[in-house]
Amino acid sequence: MRHQGGHLQRLLRALRRQGGWLPAWVFAAGLLAVPALGLAAEGTTAGPVDYRDIPGIGSRNIVWVIAQLHLLLAGFVLGVPIFAWLCEIVGWKSGEKRYDKLAKEFTKLLTSSYATTALFGGILLFLLIGFYPKLMNYLTDIFFPSFVFYCILFLLETATLYLYWYGWDAMQDGGKKTFHIFLGFLLNLFAFFIMIVPNSWATFQASPVVIAEGTDIQRAWAATWNPTWWPVNIHRLIANVVLGGYICGAYAGIRYLAARNAEERDHYDWMGYVGNFIGVFGLLPLPFAGYWLMREIYQYNQQMGITLMGGFLSWLFILQAMLIGVLFLGSNYYFWLGITHRIPGSEGQYKKPIMTMLVILLLCLGVWMTPHSLVASLEEARKMGGTHHPLLGVFGVMSAKMTVANLMILVTFMSFIMYWRAGKQETATWAKVARSVMGAVLILAGIAVIVLGVWGYFVPAIIRINYFSTSQVLIVLFVMLTITPLTALLLKSARTTTEMVWGRMPPRAGYALVLNAVMVILLMTLMGYARSSSRVHWHIYGVMRDSSQYAFSPALGYAAAFMALNTFLFCMLVAFIFWVATMGDKAKAGPGVSKGDLPHGMPAMAGGAPHDTDQRS
Amino acid sequence: MSEVVKLQLIGLTIVGMGIVILLFVRAQFARVIGFVAIVLGLFSLVALAVPQMASLPPAEEKFDIATVKTPTDMAAIGQKIFFSKGQCALCHSIGPSESARCPDLKGIGAKLSREFIFESLTQPQAYIYLDYRHEGPPKEYPARMPYINKNPIGLTKNEILSVIAFLQQMSGEPISVSPSELEVPGQAPKAPVKAEDAAPVAVAHAR
Repeated sequence: MRHQGGHLQRLLRALRRQGGWLPAWVFAAGLLAVPALGLAAEGTTAGPVDYRDIPGIGSRNIVWVIAQLHLLLAGFVLGVPIFAWLCEIVGWKSGEKRYDKLAKEFTKLLTSSYATTALFGGILLFLLIGFYPKLMNYLTDIFFPSFVFYCILFLLETATLYLYWYGWDAMQDGGKKTFHIFLGFLLNLFAFFIMIVPNSWATFQASPVVIAEGTDIQRAWAATWNPTWWPVNIHRLIANVVLGGYICGAYAGIRYLAARNAEERDHYDWMGYVGNFIGVFGLLPLPFAGYWLMREIYQYNQQMGITLMGGFLSWLFILQAMLIGVLFLGSNYYFWLGITHRIPGSEGQYKKPIMTMLVILLLCLGVWMTPHSLVASLEEARKMGGTHHPLLGVFGVMSAKMTVANLMILVTFMSFIMYWRAGKQETATWAKVARSVMGAVLILAGIAVIVLGVWGYFVPAIIRINYFSTSQVLIVLFVMLTITPLTALLLKSARTTTEMVWGRMPPRAGYALVLNAVMVILLMTLMGYARSSSRVHWHIYGVMRDSSQYAFSPALGYAAAFMALNTFLFCMLVAFIFWVATMGDKAKAGPGVSKGDLPHGMPAMAGGAPHDTDQRS
Repeated sequence: MSEVVKLQLIGLTIVGMGIVILLFVRAQFARVIGFVAIVLGLFSLVALAVPQMASLPPAEEKFDIATVKTPTDMAAIGQKIFFSKGQCALCHSIGPSESARCPDLKGIGAKLSREFIFESLTQPQAYIYLDYRHEGPPKEYPARMPYINKNPIGLTKNEILSVIAFLQQMSGEPISVSPSELEVPGQAPKAPVKAEDAAPVAVAHAR
């Protein structure tokens, strides 16, 4: 006993000597040992183990955090190359070096974020094998051929990324630049396949296709090409562009807030604009992709569709409406701030249209957020004659929500067009006709969307879903595909009346960019929960039942706490990656180094003046 | 203190911390973290303000054959299955409903024979009901009836008979299924909810 007491005293003395470090190490070691305790507890049972757990924390919670972080990082890693490649092409075509510089700045992030994503992927894989051995065994049995294909894709992606990043400066001229652009294409092509292969594993769990006969490859292919695979592929591809754009915007926003001189403010103001533009560019078609996915889910399995939209997850879609609404408002607000602050003298000119758009957006958001059944006390429900409000109840149905979603897209699109045209005067002879056509198209489209929405109340659901909602989507797409090229043609010969000036945005613009990024990340975590919960108590819907103690979907409040935690952790991870990646630059630049190649008070390219020739290479 | 209240307190604390950071800290990055904390805290508080419903796995109705003495006992079990494991109420209404995605089941036990109901549940594509709730030619309902005896719902024969008993009772009809028809455990196939039993499901639709 004395001997042991001596050990203890030495340990305590050591703890005191080491200050805070040793306890921290002991604590960390204890944390690392926790899994061993949990696994050991399960290890006493004989025979194969279906599940392992870590008591107290819960295997499901750990997998939830790691899987979500991996998915968000993967979205970032797949979104950034699209973003960077688009910027590189713009820089290549327009000759504006700052686009190339921006593309390079973001590609640099890829090397560290790629490794972090792979790290979380590895952790996730080990956890899944450890916690869900039976499920993983089943999935491996079905998908082994695609596991091999996935590994090959990773090799190709890694090699391409090295060439793309390390060859950037060496491949700047002539044919080499074309080859570099081609490498960027390959990078995105492999990244796309890297995304869709694991998508097949995830979508298989929701909409499995299992065939008992055939070779391994035939079985894997049948399982891969399941009903929700392509809708999820398209939805995630677009969402990754949105994520990449808005994260770029948030980074620019933070740097803008912390900028110490005019050059930095100019550069990060411009970067914020580009990030927001690409984010909005992806955001506009995203609801259509989501609609298609939902349609496929309904067609695959009505019960799953109803569980999502009308069952215990129905309130989730009110939260989704809130997040998307805030995202639309944030994106528009940033555009409006740009018009009023970057274009001197335009404050009064655009006040009325901005106010009109704001009112429309708020009304639409109000309708979108109106729940089908209200939260009401027994007394209130009795007075209303049920849980449906006598007046607001009409807004709680899909016909109203589809209508306002389309209207919000239209308004956001018009915000962008307004920003694009601000500070310019069309000189083409046919400008008046074009403006009238665009106005007529917009007004008629708005009326048609509303008429179809109201009409949708009086037709059976199948007619509304198959014809009316689809028509609304097609009308909005038609507006975009008509007005965008027409505006581009008009502005080709336009005269710049007021030069756009960077670096004058108020600090709230930086916060708006951060808010947009947080909304997108929260949306991804929210829809991840929805996708996972739609399988209810099945690991693989209808095939392998979840018989663990976690075979339930937690309530929205509990889930939201995890979503918020995951969002925060992801933001910190991304901030760390940005910090690490730019550490070398700061050291290289040192204090007082000229940033002459950055635009200072210069007119803009997109959305600004097209004549900033001194920015061209 | 309930879990929701605890989470609300955490959410409020996080929002409060964010406000304090914005008010008293000048470092820009810390201020952004404070702002993000406020946004995330508010999001959590809104999510905690809506109805909190967890999705629990359906309770297995125990068929203690010895305790099921009368057809009414079967109907009582069938009613529970109708609204839980069977998921019937997800699509079907009992009484007219414009929004129902499947036929109204009010009085169905009086209109259809037990054999027909059994076939509708286990071979739903054998005879398809059309929707006459609108003008013009009748159309198929938007929801397709699933095979109720196969996964993911996977009712056993005893459970299906109980649901039929409930539908008949609800329609004011004499219940034509009898407890003597229930399969005694061990002498009949097990419930198809175990993963190993369920392995190859039908190939999902190819459209």
